[in-house]
Amino acid sequence: MSTVTLKDLKKTYANGFQAIHGIDMEIRDGEFIVIVGPSGCGKSTLLRMIAGLETITDGELMIDDRRVNQVEPGKRDIAMVFQNYALYPHMSVYDNMAYGLKIRKKSTEEIAQQVNRAADILEIGALLDRKPSQLSGGQRQRVAMGRAIVRDPKVFLFDEPLSNLDAKLRVQMRIEIRKLQRALKTTAIYVTHDQVEAMTLADRLIVMNGGLPEQIGSPMELYDRPATTFVAGFIGSPAMNFIPVRVDKKGATFPSGQNLNFSVPSGHENVLLGIRPEDIEITTPDLADLTLKVSVIEPLGADSLIYGSCEGMKEDLVVRVRDKATVQEEETFSVRFNQQKLHYFDPTTNSRLP
Amino acid sequence: MVENRPLLTFFSHLALIIGISFIALPVWLAFVVSTQEASALFSGQVPLWPGEHFIENYSSILFEGEKNSGAPPILLMITNSLVMAICVAVGKITISIISAYAIVYFQFPFRQAIFWMIFMTLMLPVEVRILPTFEVIAQLGMLNSYAGLTIPLIASATATFLFRQFYMTIPDEMIEAARMDGAGPIRFFIDILLPLSRTNIAALFVILFIFGWNQYLWPLLVTTDASYYTVVMGIQRMMAVPDSDPIWHYVMATAILGMIPPVIVVVTMQKLFVKGLIETEK
Repeated sequence: MSTVTLKDLKKTYANGFQAIHGIDMEIRDGEFIVIVGPSGCGKSTLLRMIAGLETITDGELMIDDRRVNQVEPGKRDIAMVFQNYALYPHMSVYDNMAYGLKIRKKSTEEIAQQVNRAADILEIGALLDRKPSQLSGGQRQRVAMGRAIVRDPKVFLFDEPLSNLDAKLRVQMRIEIRKLQRALKTTAIYVTHDQVEAMTLADRLIVMNGGLPEQIGSPMELYDRPATTFVAGFIGSPAMNFIPVRVDKKGATFPSGQNLNFSVPSGHENVLLGIRPEDIEITTPDLADLTLKVSVIEPLGADSLIYGSCEGMKEDLVVRVRDKATVQEEETFSVRFNQQKLHYFDPTTNSRLP
Repeated sequence: MVENRPLLTFFSHLALIIGISFIALPVWLAFVVSTQEASALFSGQVPLWPGEHFIENYSSILFEGEKNSGAPPILLMITNSLVMAICVAVGKITISIISAYAIVYFQFPFRQAIFWMIFMTLMLPVEVRILPTFEVIAQLGMLNSYAGLTIPLIASATATFLFRQFYMTIPDEMIEAARMDGAGPIRFFIDILLPLSRTNIAALFVILFIFGWNQYLWPLLVTTDASYYTVVMGIQRMMAVPDSDPIWHYVMATAILGMIPPVIVVVTMQKLFVKGLIETEK
């Protein structure tokens, strides 16, 4: 139960590569923070800096009000769940969970009590005598989490903990991690490249790109008002559609030359219009904002994705419709954009226009 | 696939029996000879069944030794060999496990250079550097001592290399998890690395024990005092008697006794490391 403060945190490797370009953030007590981004964006480096496994080149890291830049990982009062679990193969589940407490010279009774409490929470009481090699992936995951919660740390750190599990188990464990964190009210920082995990778990999200945070905010804030095209394209699946729009004295036009039926922010010659697949609906030609030609239809069960090509645009526009698609491949169809859900970006800076 | 083909079974067993007799026959003959009287062997015919002097021959060789060739009692030589083999094996494992730990897990200047220096000594077996080593040991006054017998043989590039390769297969997360748990370098070494290396240690111990036990040239050079003789050189001394035939039944009894400790080590350690191989997740 603690706050974590990052003040202009920077990381430059010995070879001169700058992995983190400076991050400022205040993580509140009990908050669940998810760091998300593509590979190589520095998200794992940032987590490892907070853990103390990577040195901090510049800036300050505070846990509560203590500056921990130079503090050994074991003394920061944090716990980490690793991607491959990193359980000690020669120790039983009980010993794996007890190891950190043993090193901290807790009494045997206290250790037993703590381990049993954690085992109860995670429902792994029956596995305590087994070795990690005798456990399934999901059980190992639980033990790894048990090892973290048994110490009752100030902060939990998760480094892509679900990426080694199969899809079904991943959903199940995702929900359990959320419940667990809610119940324990421990501050948590979670790194993932999976945007669904990021959206569902986070109180606040950090979207990282190229060593810098692109945007920090609640999942719905990021979904509703992405600050940059990168965030807009990263959050939400399938990704947001971007349409370059030209603006001149007569009005705004699509790449096809068709006029827009709605106004765009003034003062720019070129504007990038963003619209999510779920905010486009199929309509009759007289109400159409744009006419598309179907290139591919992907039925997903509950809904279908229609990829439509439009004259003058390089990439297909994705439209999400409920149930089955009512159009056939190669057909043309008309779509209408939800005017409340339009996003505008400056194509040169990639940042959001008001 | 289990097939019932009697002919195949017959031939494979036959081949195995022939193979085993090739190995076992000399050992059996050595045992047979060691139980005979001296006179039984003068005829030039080797008897195939044990004689009646087992206890007599063995007790005299164990506790009195062979006066003619100046060999001390075998019990003393076996003890010397044991001390040497155990010191060499334990010493080699200790030194190499620690140096491999330093090379793999610590950042220090010239780390790679030091590793390659150790690695290059692989090319220099004991026999090649035996004269300078002897000179050093002689200068240090370590001739005729257990220290002189064992210390020069302790440094081991092979074992260091094996442990290094093993440590490199341990995922980095393991040490990171240990650091998060608050374990320092020494705790990590004792609590995590040593138990994980158990199988490697067992396998190496067997190999190195036998290496130490079978040392011949080095003990021959550094010991002139009979109380530091080892079994292997003892046998040689019994063979090279001036002006008379070797006393074969004593020589063979010594050979049989000299075989027992390595056999015990192999048999007991084999169990341990097979068990370790099954249990460890790697």
